[in-house]
Amino acid sequence: MEKKLSEMKYEEEGIVKEIREGLKDKIAGMGIREGRGIKMMTKQPIKGPAVVAVDRANTSIGLGLADKIIVEVGK
Amino acid sequence: MNKVLLMGQANVGKSVFFNRLAGANVTVSNYPGTSVDFDKGRMLLEGKHVDLIDVPGTFSLQPKDRAEEVAVKMLEQEKDTVVICVIDASKVERGLYLALEIIERGYPVIVALNMWDTAKNAKVKTDVKKLEQILGVPVVPTVATTSEGFKELVSRMREAAPVAIEEITKSVGGDKSETHN
Amino acid sequence: MKLTIDQRWDLVDRIAKETVEVGTYKPGLRDAVADATVRPAIGIPFAIAVLYGFWTFFGEFAGLFTDGFFVRIFGTHWIPFLGEKLAGLPDWAFTILVGDRAVFAEGFGGDPCFAAGGILTTGLFMPFGIVLWAVLALFLMLAVLEDTGYLPRLASLVDSVLHKIGLHGFAIVPTLVSLGCNVPGVTACRPLETRKQRFMMIALLGVFVPCGAQIGMMEELVPELIGWVFLTLAIGYLGFGWVLNKVWPGESPEILMDMPPYQAPVWSNVLRKTWNRTRHFLFVAVPFVLLGCLIVMVLYATGAMDALASALQPFLMAVFGVPAEATPSLVVGFLRKDLAIGLLPIEAMTTYQVFKSVVLLTIYFPCLATFAMLLRELNWKEILYTLGFLVVTILVFGSILNLIGMAGGW
Ligand SMILES: Nc1nc2c(ncn2[C@@H]2O[C@H](COP(=O)(O)OP(=O)(O)OP(=O)(O)O)[C@@H](O)[C@H]2O)c(=O)[nH]1
Ligand SMILES: [Mg+2]
Repeated sequence: MEKKLSEMKYEEEGIVKEIREGLKDKIAGMGIREGRGIKMMTKQPIKGPAVVAVDRANTSIGLGLADKIIVEVGK
Repeated sequence: MNKVLLMGQANVGKSVFFNRLAGANVTVSNYPGTSVDFDKGRMLLEGKHVDLIDVPGTFSLQPKDRAEEVAVKMLEQEKDTVVICVIDASKVERGLYLALEIIERGYPVIVALNMWDTAKNAKVKTDVKKLEQILGVPVVPTVATTSEGFKELVSRMREAAPVAIEEITKSVGGDKSETHN
Repeated sequence: MKLTIDQRWDLVDRIAKETVEVGTYKPGLRDAVADATVRPAIGIPFAIAVLYGFWTFFGEFAGLFTDGFFVRIFGTHWIPFLGEKLAGLPDWAFTILVGDRAVFAEGFGGDPCFAAGGILTTGLFMPFGIVLWAVLALFLMLAVLEDTGYLPRLASLVDSVLHKIGLHGFAIVPTLVSLGCNVPGVTACRPLETRKQRFMMIALLGVFVPCGAQIGMMEELVPELIGWVFLTLAIGYLGFGWVLNKVWPGESPEILMDMPPYQAPVWSNVLRKTWNRTRHFLFVAVPFVLLGCLIVMVLYATGAMDALASALQPFLMAVFGVPAEATPSLVVGFLRKDLAIGLLPIEAMTTYQVFKSVVLLTIYFPCLATFAMLLRELNWKEILYTLGFLVVTILVFGSILNLIGMAGGW
């Protein structure tokens, strides 16, 4: 099943399917890329940022940005 | 060659390298974005004094903020330079991403696999010899906070040479990205 | 040849596959803490606890040195000693170096450390007896926070609120740095992504964030009011930030920030940073404090202060709602705000007037060193707007605080 990164639940894991153009440039160097596993570590209340983990690196990312990343999740 | 640039992603320990190699005193902190401007010092390399520059951390060569802009500009305006690319050994993949970008631009690079201690604790093991073979540039494991590996790093600086990215692609079995999508 | 992003990642992944081996790693206590402290349920109480600890340590540390030690050294030994030894000097020299003879003769009517006023008495007491210990305590705690890796987590936590006013969670870093000293605080704004975010942050810093030296003076002189002062400034910071975000053109992109793992602080590094910053403070601040004392005493000695006070009185009353005795404060406020707070005529004012003047002095013109940083980091248009913003803020805050005072009958 595909969903936006911003819709992933706490501790849910998935594979990055697609990153919208524009954002790709910006997050390439932080290790977030298509085809790679990603895990949702935390979500802040009142639409605050999420914290995601890719390859042992944690990144804090705003929800609007996380909207632009599509993730394939297990079920 | 009369200049050495210390480049790498944020918070990998570049400023610790700089302080140790150039006897300097710049701020070191455990958060990304500590150094926001470049710092210049001198280091001894094979009996000669050369400039050593601590470049602000940048995740890639496509800058996202003012500090990263400084970093990319620094690299672009220094033509006759060796780049010490500092990589966090527990996050090798994204460090290699930046290293490749620098190699693609034709700079002679030497890779420091820093935070070797942290990587060990996190059970991340890198085959240094093999990585060196694939990249065609020297790769040296280091622990900047204790100067471990610095002797080797300095003594191998002259092995740093530009490498064609095609060579690297070939050594991992050619370009498959064109056929499989 | 240059690769595309996808090609480059493809290559990296193939290299990593042959060279990197990731064993199974059992997450330990450190990882549990790392996760917990960014989760709101634990993270927010934790952040409050950290900041509270910060504050308690600050008060105890600074109090220990100032009240426990320097007030006595200066008050009962150094100042009377100087008064005696230099009694032979001509009046003007005595006034500038030691203080007003009349005040000396009367036995100060209060705390000699503040009442004396000369360069060698109050001029030395303020930087070395009070402010040094306050900034030392703040720099030390900041260095510890920086080294543990807590700052990015705090940034992620507060981003929810800060992004609503167009800032980035990272803005908490320059804010905390500025609580030590605004000068490095301004440079720490560089990792903010857009011009707009940097401008907003620098303007808010320059206007609303008091530095360690000022906080030290507040803690010494008006400890019971500090909470209110901080609350008022925080409201200003968020309120004006919200307005600036609406009116200033440009974008406020969302947070995208790496979060390094926690680490035990490296003590040699912590001490080195604390020392570097404290040394910088001594070199930059002390000459200005002494210069400020000199100016004030010269103005007094020549009678210019009285003329200035009567000329400024209507303005002071109208905008700040404070008596003419506050004139010296406002004169030196341009040089050093800590000195300005030290010169407030606390006995001549009501508690509410003291509170109001402390708030307005904090907002007042940034100190010279900070202003020099603004010149470096901002363009002319932004600087003019920052100054305009400053004037508007003072007028708005001054009027609101005056109205509240009138309504409350304070
Ligand atoms: N365990 C360990 N920690 C290290 C090592 N090298 C650096 N550090 C720590 O990593 C953190 C970052 O070091 P810096 O030198 O400030 O990093 P930087 O690359 O200059 O970072 P920016 O200036 O933000 O780009 C500090 O807390 C260092 O003490 C190492 O080899 N091992
Ligand atoms: Mg640095």
